[in-house]
Amino acid sequence: MTYADFRDGKPVILTAALTGGVHGKEANPNLPETPTEIGEAAAAAEAAGASIVHLHARRANGERAFSTDRFQAVTDAVRARTDDVIVQHSTGGTGAPDALRAEPLRTDPAPEMASLDMGPLNRYQHLTSENTRGLVAALHAEMQERGIKPELEVFNGGHLNESLAILDELDDPPYLNLVFGGGTTTIPHPRNLLTLVENLPDDAEFNVLAFGPHQLPLTTMGVLLGGHARVGLEDNLYYREGELAESNAQLVGRTAEIAETLGRPVATPAEARTILDL
Amino acid sequence: MPCPYLDYRCEDADHEFEAERAYCTAVEAFVQPMRADICNDRYDLDHETDCEFYAEAEQ
Repeated sequence: MTYADFRDGKPVILTAALTGGVHGKEANPNLPETPTEIGEAAAAAEAAGASIVHLHARRANGERAFSTDRFQAVTDAVRARTDDVIVQHSTGGTGAPDALRAEPLRTDPAPEMASLDMGPLNRYQHLTSENTRGLVAALHAEMQERGIKPELEVFNGGHLNESLAILDELDDPPYLNLVFGGGTTTIPHPRNLLTLVENLPDDAEFNVLAFGPHQLPLTTMGVLLGGHARVGLEDNLYYREGELAESNAQLVGRTAEIAETLGRPVATPAEARTILDL
Repeated sequence: MPCPYLDYRCEDADHEFEAERAYCTAVEAFVQPMRADICNDRYDLDHETDCEFYAEAEQ
């Protein structure tokens, strides 16, 4: 993906990160938590322009869940309410044992895509999601076995090194998600996005994810650089400073409008499958 | 054993929920779902070693 792709009007893939697992309704009451709420949010996001929905599962009280059963309930609810959207399951899980991390891959049907965290990530004062090379390899192997396309989560530049090291093992095109924010993610600044993009393989597709107030400017910059964009309440609770977002669809709709204005049509799910060779 | 500062509540001054959610009486706030795993000592997590709120409250 390059600036030339932007100039050529290559469709932009919009991913909606609907719920996550870090915060919940205590942070924004509009954040979907139950399977029904997530399914309805997925339908609205698809209507607003999302071709991929990134899913996490929760317990009935909103707390995190990693079991195949809970993911099955969410993915069933999403599939029942959407037309053609691509389902992507998270395999992230700070503090969760490695044995649980593959559970989201084992739904029936399997998700078309899944996230693959490419290295360590700190949370709070004492937690680290280790994401050892061994775990990454094991998760990737199970994804390949089940025909699931990995989205490589590049939380910082070191994780790009880790991604480049396994390029030969990936199906084309490799799909990398460049993450910007605080802590162990890349410092959210346009120059850092440029640097990461300059270090991507020529045939890679990339997505931009930026937390909080950085979501809008850096995903827009990613669109200009020929990349794709992820928005949603998992990553950003606000529509603008001091104003909570009303829904995931509101955030997707704004980015879809920006992309169209900038001359990049929003990809349909079918177009996204073609771009990512799903 | 769950953190002694953990409570489950449906409301506080700023929130009202249909179901009870994890509430930290050390900081007087509903906690994030990820942090609730520490409060409940789920997986290999331990509130005594993994939670800065607990540590500060015990000092």
